[in-house]
Amino acid sequence: MSRYLGAAALLVALAVPGVAAQNATLRRAQQAYDNLEYRQVLTLARAALRERLTGPERARAYELLGFTYGAMDSILKAVDAFKQVVLIDPERQLDPNRVSPKAYSAFDVALRQVLLVRQLRVDSASFVGGQGAGGVPIRFTVTQPARVVARAIGSAGTVVIDSGAWNGQVNLRWPARLVGGDPVPAGTYTVVVDARLGQNTFSASQPIRVSHGRVDTLPTVTSLPGYQFLPETEIPPQSWRPVGLAFLYTGGALVGTLGLESSSLGSSSKRELGIVGGAALVTGFVMMLRKPAARPAQANILYNRLLRDQIARRNQDIAKENMARRQQVQVTVAPLPK
Amino acid sequence: MRPALGALLLALVARPAEGQLVTLGPQVVLADYREVASGLRYRGSGFGGGLWARRGRLSAEAAVARLNLDPADGSAATAGFTATQVDAWIAYDVAAYASVEVGVLHRSADPEFDAQSVGAVRVGARSFYDIGPGATVVFRANYLAAPKFSGGGRAPVSLDLGLGLDVRLAGRLRGTAIYGFTRMNRKTNPGGTGEVDAPIQESLARVGLALAF
Repeated sequence: MSRYLGAAALLVALAVPGVAAQNATLRRAQQAYDNLEYRQVLTLARAALRERLTGPERARAYELLGFTYGAMDSILKAVDAFKQVVLIDPERQLDPNRVSPKAYSAFDVALRQVLLVRQLRVDSASFVGGQGAGGVPIRFTVTQPARVVARAIGSAGTVVIDSGAWNGQVNLRWPARLVGGDPVPAGTYTVVVDARLGQNTFSASQPIRVSHGRVDTLPTVTSLPGYQFLPETEIPPQSWRPVGLAFLYTGGALVGTLGLESSSLGSSSKRELGIVGGAALVTGFVMMLRKPAARPAQANILYNRLLRDQIARRNQDIAKENMARRQQVQVTVAPLPK
Repeated sequence: MRPALGALLLALVARPAEGQLVTLGPQVVLADYREVASGLRYRGSGFGGGLWARRGRLSAEAAVARLNLDPADGSAATAGFTATQVDAWIAYDVAAYASVEVGVLHRSADPEFDAQSVGAVRVGARSFYDIGPGATVVFRANYLAAPKFSGGGRAPVSLDLGLGLDVRLAGRLRGTAIYGFTRMNRKTNPGGTGEVDAPIQESLARVGLALAF
């Protein structure tokens, strides 16, 4: 049994933060605790509590009592001692890996028996004020079911962030805007969380700074993601078309000439048609062998036109968006040290 | 008609603009001319010039040729004559490969009575197609309306068809070859004894160079 007590005490000693005790009695109590002299610890810690101590020293004295009662299996007394600890230092947290299970469960029971708002955290955030889903993440823990009101108190007034009957971990998102929808004025605020359970109340606070800036405008676009302009000309494949067309046109002229010839005048000279038709056929043959000229690709031209229209429409939307953004403010919230 | 055509051609040439093209150049002309009967036939050659202009869908073309026509082998004619022929068209594109056109034809003979001088209005259509970079073939068919002959008579059915080739040779230089065949079913009534056929038939080839502006 004494081996277990010794091991638990060692764990507690490791878990206790290094608060340098100025009070001599408290130092002796700590020394007695380190030496596993629990009765001596109880005597010295109580004696120290009757003396003039600072807040951290008082919390330390009660903590020594809590750990010692826990080691001595006096759980109810350990819980009472830990209640005093968390009332003095609500943020006090024990590491379950470094303290004895008895002490930790006693500390946990103590937390549930006292109304506290702990671990109030306000994260840094930056968003467009007065609209959208942007907001400041605020989270805290309420140790008992209580009516809780979260406010932001500044020089310009008080803004209720949220309220409700909450217990345990609470996550809020504050849009940092006034009732009318405008962003809260820039300045220093204090986020205050008040919890009330019957006659018991508790408050936690965190100072923050709200600053205003210009909202970034959007750049205009020259292309759309996934879409690119296509070449507006294309080189058709080589074909017999040039010589075919020359043959068709020359043939048409020949047939027309033969058809129009007057029988009474005899067959006309074909020298003239031969010269021009021959030139057309030779030209067609040469053109058939040549690389064809680029021609407009109508489908691509149409596609590019549609793409340009889309880009122009998008830029119009961006211009409208930028006009609106120039009238907005960028709200930046940052927590300040307490 | 002629002043209007001249004004249009002048406007097209004088004010080149985007989408406008003007070509102008000399031509060598070969011709075969027959009249009245198979025995009266002439062959010859000469020189001429051509002008072509386009602006948008509208185009205009004019050609003039001066021909020395001599009796062909076996012809009953004893002497040749000199002919001056003027052709002009104004065309409007109604499709990518087709246009409708109107124009005039005028041919005069010197000496005046060695052959028929004729004037007519052209109404017709043409088809044109690019067979390669800078190469275009053209086929045209015209009805020759209201022909007037120096020797009188009428020609209710008069047709003209043509084949053309325009090739860009180098830079602004173009080569042109144009074939025309005219058939006029002329009828005369000499002395009031009744109409007799006096057809006229002409084949013409113009080959030349042109500068594009």
